[in-house]
Amino acid sequence: MATMIQPDERRGNVPSAGNRLPGIKDYQQVDREIIGTLKPTLGWFALLGGAILALLIGALSWTYQIHEGLGAAGYHPPVMWGVYIISFVFWVGIGHAGTLISAILYLFRAGFRTTIYRASEAMTVFAVMTAGLFPILHLGRPWKFFWLIPYPNWRLIWPNPKSPLVWDVFAILTYLTVSATFFYIGLIPDIAVLRDQETNPVRKRIFATLALGWRNSDTEWRHFTRAYLFLAAFATPLVLSVHSVVSFDFAMSLVPGWHATIFPPYFVAGAIFSGIGMVFTIIIPIRKFMKLEHYVTINDLDAAAKLCLFTSCVVGLAYLTEFQVAWMSGNRVEQEYFWNRVFGQWWWAAWIMLICNMVMPISLFSQKLRRNVGWLFFLSIFINIGMWFERFVIVIPSLSHEFEPWQWGGYRPTWVDFGILLGSFGWFFMWFLLFIRQLPVMAIAEIKEILPAKMKHPHDVTHDLDALTIDPGQTMGDD
Amino acid sequence: MQGVIGAFTELDSTVHAIEELRKQNFNDIAVFSPTPRHELDEALAAKTSAVRRFTLVGGLMGVTFGYWIPIWISDYWPIVVGGKPIASWVPYTIIGFELMVLIGSLSTVFGMFALARLPRLTLTVGYDARFSHGHFGVWVNAGPDRAPQAAELLRKHGAEEVRNER
Repeated sequence: MATMIQPDERRGNVPSAGNRLPGIKDYQQVDREIIGTLKPTLGWFALLGGAILALLIGALSWTYQIHEGLGAAGYHPPVMWGVYIISFVFWVGIGHAGTLISAILYLFRAGFRTTIYRASEAMTVFAVMTAGLFPILHLGRPWKFFWLIPYPNWRLIWPNPKSPLVWDVFAILTYLTVSATFFYIGLIPDIAVLRDQETNPVRKRIFATLALGWRNSDTEWRHFTRAYLFLAAFATPLVLSVHSVVSFDFAMSLVPGWHATIFPPYFVAGAIFSGIGMVFTIIIPIRKFMKLEHYVTINDLDAAAKLCLFTSCVVGLAYLTEFQVAWMSGNRVEQEYFWNRVFGQWWWAAWIMLICNMVMPISLFSQKLRRNVGWLFFLSIFINIGMWFERFVIVIPSLSHEFEPWQWGGYRPTWVDFGILLGSFGWFFMWFLLFIRQLPVMAIAEIKEILPAKMKHPHDVTHDLDALTIDPGQTMGDD
Repeated sequence: MQGVIGAFTELDSTVHAIEELRKQNFNDIAVFSPTPRHELDEALAAKTSAVRRFTLVGGLMGVTFGYWIPIWISDYWPIVVGGKPIASWVPYTIIGFELMVLIGSLSTVFGMFALARLPRLTLTVGYDARFSHGHFGVWVNAGPDRAPQAAELLRKHGAEEVRNER
């Protein structure tokens, strides 16, 4: 006989283990409220216009750079990596929290992921799309970017598979493909809801095509939940590998400050930390302006803030370990470099990094601040800034302060660098804003799954209450 | 396809109806639900999905291809880097791993589509927009001789609406 999960008694508007979303009464309310967020507003058009304008500034800067050459972007020996590589690492890092929330927390059955994972996953896809542009922007002849991919060609030339830059190509392309696939597969049942509810014939036809004929049958759900589980299981080690590979771009060299075995875990923790910062930056306005506070509850934000605090502690430990390793290494070049990082030429960047990423998140030890939405949003902006500067501190001081004093130099980004950086934010937010008004920003099917189903006999004693024996592969969310 | 479809609003009624139908030897049953529910799978005594086989085969193909590509390139264009062997398996593990994930994931999705018969050009007989909204649907494949019995059973268990479909 089938076992049945019984709904808990409602206890006011207080989320509990048995009922995470007490403000939501039934499945129909979920459809109504989430589909209701798809209506464009004037404010949304204004933001979209701003994002497109920023993107155009970036495109103009790039056009100028292609015409003038890479020197227009402020590269002078010895600093031949600058804003583009910093921004590449920054945007890849932003993507990591999305996969952590959608895949890793899914495997761990963390309840707070359910309402925030769709927005985070979209953030991942768009952030990786943004990151992928930067290595291309950094090429003198960007139209030759495909030479990095090993394919049979008339030149009989193959990329060197021992080069970290080639590993990067494989890692980033895999990450983009898998996260976009994971995102789309999760969207299919929700697009089917849109198809069934839509009245405009053109939109209905578009949704019908995108839903691929999904009809919510038991067979579809059975294969879907299994495939989703395996995709999550693939995405979990993938997310750890991608930023490890990005860190190899630095750690495989002999440059002081880069040549360290700590880099892969340090980069992965930093990536997740920065991504959670961006999740707060986007989810807090979404829940406020789309009136979804009863979906993303304060408990969910509190749990995400704990994750933020934990990753901040890991990142802080990595910063301090770097100094300790330099101190104990007995290597004068390394020691000189780290001294220069904090008290020398680039002290201001290092202190922005340390204060934003290590000191300010300490406030999250206070439960009162973890549950203060305004503070979380404010802090998230500083985390974004701090994590961009972390990559600045990794890239610039090392290159400008290598082994030989006569090689030491400086770095001054030009308007082209800033234009392209602004353009990258425009590109990211343009996609994100288009997404939030065209597709459900929260996973309708998964939210319904954590709601207590309507029962004829809510306390039917003829069925066992062994809800804890659910096969993880057969359900999408948690209880 | 000929049969009866019943729309339910309650999960427990749906489960009871499925159990009763199976007891009466109606074995060709499809259930539509707005969200996956393990209670429905248990009532249908559904087998575990075979998607995992696609995942395994795809993953193995990916890792094999991922090692083969750099080994072949190194052999074709031999460059000694850092005094290491021409074909060094340690750095090639990165490419092997990434392609395992890539091809394993894509074959998982292919497996899901193949097994769930997606993409589907038309929604099948009996599908109702309510089933993605909040209702549970039970489709019973039954000929004209047994359809009245199935319809009666669905009504008995509280189906809001019962329709004959063909």
